[in-house]
Amino acid sequence: MIGVAVNLTRRHFGKAAGVLVLTFALAARLAGAQAPKLPGSLANNRMLDAWLRINADGSAMILTGKVELGQGISTALKQIAAEELDLPLTRVRMISGDTAQTPDEGYTSGSQSIEYGGTAIRLACAEARALLIDQAAKRFGLPAEGLKVSEGVVAAPDGRKLGYGELAAELDLDREVTATVAPKPPALHTIVGRSVLRRDIPPKVTGGAAYVQDIRLPGMAHGRVVRPPRYDARLDNLDEAPIRAMPGVVTVVRDGSFLGVVAEREEQAIKAREALIGAAKWTGGSELPDPRRRGSTSS
Amino acid sequence: MPAKADTQLLYVLRNDLALNGAKFGCGLAQCGACTVLLDGRAVRSSVTEIGSIGDAEITTIEGLGTVDKSHPLQQAFIDEQAAQCGYCINGMIMTAKDLLDQNPHPTAAEVREALAQNLCRCGTHGRIIRAVLRAAQNTGKT
Repeated sequence: MIGVAVNLTRRHFGKAAGVLVLTFALAARLAGAQAPKLPGSLANNRMLDAWLRINADGSAMILTGKVELGQGISTALKQIAAEELDLPLTRVRMISGDTAQTPDEGYTSGSQSIEYGGTAIRLACAEARALLIDQAAKRFGLPAEGLKVSEGVVAAPDGRKLGYGELAAELDLDREVTATVAPKPPALHTIVGRSVLRRDIPPKVTGGAAYVQDIRLPGMAHGRVVRPPRYDARLDNLDEAPIRAMPGVVTVVRDGSFLGVVAEREEQAIKAREALIGAAKWTGGSELPDPRRRGSTSS
Repeated sequence: MPAKADTQLLYVLRNDLALNGAKFGCGLAQCGACTVLLDGRAVRSSVTEIGSIGDAEITTIEGLGTVDKSHPLQQAFIDEQAAQCGYCINGMIMTAKDLLDQNPHPTAAEVREALAQNLCRCGTHGRIIRAVLRAAQNTGKT
């Protein structure tokens, strides 16, 4: 559906939209579903305000369930949002991976953040922009087609102007995304497709908080896991008592063949893990090939 | 400090002093993510016991510069966008700091040699080497 939409101009798309919606509705009925399937991560997060907020000052807050792992998505997703909203990058902020606030997009994996999350943000922001323009058209008493948007300000041909902040105050984004507003054609892109400096790099080169490992909670203990010596090996025998008696050890965790240790300090957890490796007896599992036979033709 | 003399410096830096710069990578001095400077020389903090440090001055990446007032090496890594996940970069910068202090204008081959024991799993080595060479050039100008 998006492929179709991209090939239409915004003006033509309005005419075609009815047909697309009908197609969606028919497909949904045939599938026995209540609502049409939406593209990308919109499928499970259908509300427009799950993806963005327009602030009173006209800036935007984008919400994403995908997280920065060094792929640069905290920068790339902002570029997509800024592009579709016609806002400068400096006026787009982003909340990522805060599960109390952001859409549930599942794992960040498989090189799918732009494909799924980017698609959702692109369509949601294109739709929000169209709603803001429609609101401005109402206020101006003019057709939306004649209005121009630049850096978050909608301008009428007669010179009147309205900012996103003011328009958003009159708009309710607590509504389902229809995904029927065509995003900008790539030929009009001024932000997407250009290299910008990644926003995650400065903290990574100065010791800023950038990783899960940099989270410290009050009273936090430290854990280490003991891996089996062979794939599929079973943990049979273990005398936990001497390990539990080691300095700082809070507990030994054993669940079937899962084995781990929790200690007050990280170095204590590491020492206790070494002791656990010595104490644990494993059976079964498949042996790894002997590294000395590496390069041999037999398997 | 609740840490004993045989505690590795890395855990004191990260857990007692809440410094994020030095990273736990392998804990075996094989990857370099935990590198800090002791009296200006790069060492692996995950295998350096605090009891062995004596009066030596410890410098972490936090001590080089900040986002607003970055060290030429940090700035060069930003300018070259020399990080993917970035987990190894602490070690790359701290090892490069030691290198540039000893040899302010290294060749690319010398940078390669100096960073040969620092692992980057993402494959950012090309940019990392360019960043160190850029830092060397910029340091010379100031």
